[in-house]
Amino acid sequence: MTPINISLLVFMIGLYGVTSKNNLIKKIMGLTIMNGSIVLFFISIGFRETGLAPILEKGTTSGISTTILVDPLPQALMLTAIVIGISVTALALALVVKIYAKYKTLDIQQLSKER
Amino acid sequence: MGSSKIIRTIAQKIFPFIVLFGFYLISNGHLSPGGGFQGGVVLGTAIILLALSHSIEQTEKKFKSRWLNMLEKLGILTLIFLGFLGILLGYSFLSNFLPLGKPGQIASSGLMLFFNIAIGIKVAAGVSVIFYALVRYRGEI
Amino acid sequence: MSIHIPILIIISPLLAAFLVLFTRKHKIILATVSIIASIVFTLTLSSQVLSGDKIIYHLGGWRGPIGISLVVDGLSFFFSLITLGLGLLVIIYSIPERRYGRTYYFLLLISLSSMIGVIYTADIFNMYVFYELLSLAVYLLIAYPKTGVTLRASFNYLIMGGVGLSFFLLGVGFLYAMTGTLDIFHIAERLPAAFNSSTRMVLMSIVLIVTGMGIKIAVFPLHGWLPDAHSMAPSPVSALLSGVTVKIGIYCLIRVVYTVFSTEIFLLIGSHNILMVLGVVSLLFGASMALAQKDLKRLLAYSTINQLGIVLIGLGIGTELGLTGALFHVLNHAIMKSTLFFCAGIMIAETGTREVQGLNGFSRQQPVITFAFVIASLGMIGIPPINGFASKWLICLAAVEAGYTFLVVIILTASAIAAAYYFRVIQVLFSGPLKQDPMHAHEGGQVIHGGNLFRSWPIYILAAACLLLGLIPTLGISLVKPAVSLLLFHVVP
Repeated sequence: MTPINISLLVFMIGLYGVTSKNNLIKKIMGLTIMNGSIVLFFISIGFRETGLAPILEKGTTSGISTTILVDPLPQALMLTAIVIGISVTALALALVVKIYAKYKTLDIQQLSKER
Repeated sequence: MGSSKIIRTIAQKIFPFIVLFGFYLISNGHLSPGGGFQGGVVLGTAIILLALSHSIEQTEKKFKSRWLNMLEKLGILTLIFLGFLGILLGYSFLSNFLPLGKPGQIASSGLMLFFNIAIGIKVAAGVSVIFYALVRYRGEI
Repeated sequence: MSIHIPILIIISPLLAAFLVLFTRKHKIILATVSIIASIVFTLTLSSQVLSGDKIIYHLGGWRGPIGISLVVDGLSFFFSLITLGLGLLVIIYSIPERRYGRTYYFLLLISLSSMIGVIYTADIFNMYVFYELLSLAVYLLIAYPKTGVTLRASFNYLIMGGVGLSFFLLGVGFLYAMTGTLDIFHIAERLPAAFNSSTRMVLMSIVLIVTGMGIKIAVFPLHGWLPDAHSMAPSPVSALLSGVTVKIGIYCLIRVVYTVFSTEIFLLIGSHNILMVLGVVSLLFGASMALAQKDLKRLLAYSTINQLGIVLIGLGIGTELGLTGALFHVLNHAIMKSTLFFCAGIMIAETGTREVQGLNGFSRQQPVITFAFVIASLGMIGIPPINGFASKWLICLAAVEAGYTFLVVIILTASAIAAAYYFRVIQVLFSGPLKQDPMHAHEGGQVIHGGNLFRSWPIYILAAACLLLGLIPTLGISLVKPAVSLLLFHVVP
């Protein structure tokens, strides 16, 4: 099992949660799990065994070849993706609060019956 | 209000250090792990700590949410303005027009430091505004 | 200054969006001026782009596979023109509504600015970020009236859209793993080599990206969010959603399919057949579901699924004629559907009901608006002097030329069904007595006066555009031509 396969598995778990759970909060959890799996996926793309963190220390400004560093780009991308994921989750939860205040239920089956 | 004297005192004493650490993260973001976002969140948590250990009202007197709201928008406007400065000075948008210093020093990344500061202020204000909004929410659930 | 135009087009609405939050009185002027500025900036690029040039702008001066660049070529120019033009009309249409505060204009400007971002950026991750920003703004716009149905519609869209963009991002991850870059044009250069060594990863990424965008475009099995979201949103937002936001998904699909995976790989895998099948299914499904609707805006929403099916068929045929027809139909659908939603907004406000049956005698109250509605719906059906006919005709020609004669039969069948449901609405509009007490009305609580200048002029302009493009279709086709030649022959390096 490589990390990439594991992340795809987690992605599927998240997708299962989104599609087959009736509770709105659980759907949001599924979305968050999908987001997390994508983070894992990108990080494992950039991973390099025995690679160093891509930070230049004070003394070692020269002499480090970039081949022994892990790829920093996916990490930077994932910071952005995490922030976006959090804002989507926050918006979804805010909507759920409003929906609950209106309908007094979180079950999507009952919600779809309401007019 | 509800918290004990120990918590109130310690929170007060620790507050300047958290703020200092936040500014350190912001201003050192181009050299070490950290940066505007992370530092901004640390600054925001300093305000949250005060609000939790003392009362919300007391904290709001010091850090008015109107001003924090304003600061948040000013942060992003500063960022866009700095980007425009690149265009006005004949470079492209968001490009660096300051001299690059020696690697490893604070003044070594040109505009990056100012971007970090703008983002830091925006995030700090944003985090505390979100906290105020959550605390004040009295909607029926 | 002139080389900075691509970024200025994006920044102008973005800057205005944050400035709007500071003012109370000048929000509308600020919004309108910023969009007009963007349109003027875009038009200054027109001569360069239409002659086949490609304008590349490097953000922060970083080039090549590392930096993010903005690219204005035939395709992105075409889509940005639709977006900005309709965006301006949507802002004008929302002026009379007093309920819309600063936040509304802020969200509108943010969504328009990020749409232009999605269209211009050449960095595929940046495209994702802009798309997510756009989606966040749109979810909030749908939920703006804060009634129960809008909240539910917005939540549905959020969940579906979140899943779709997750698929897209995973596909981007596969692309990055194979090619080591995120710049669209560099990926396109490096992909053929990757295709030979790891075919399955290329397949995986294409499947993920097409599925993700399929959710955003609402092709048949993934359409669940669209009818609710498009029908429950406030009318100007509905026009924006149906006219523009869905088109952004189509833009991403075209960009990724024809530029990133070059046409050769695409044909080799045989995915064009999949697009065609999806198109046919959503065409028939949208048409037959629209037939069953009683709610006017819901009918229009299902009609969107129907028309997008035609666009997908055109894309799936993939010949020069097919692509021309598909892109032309994107333009036509944007114009016609926003006309219809604008009209529907006025109808609902005047009669106080969303039911088709409640529109009795509307033609006597508002003859000009009714006329515009009739023009646009005839265009949707595809009656000759209106623009919808021209693009449908092109797609049918392309289908015959490429040997898919059965597609013509299907498109004609769907048009017949479309005729059935649009004529039902038109019949109601012209029949029956004037309503005795026109309940002045609701789209959520406040009185709207339908005869307003700001409400009617956008409709007149759009209806005139329908007739103009129908009478002189070469006008639209010349706009589409650079995009098609770019996609098929890569004339621009």
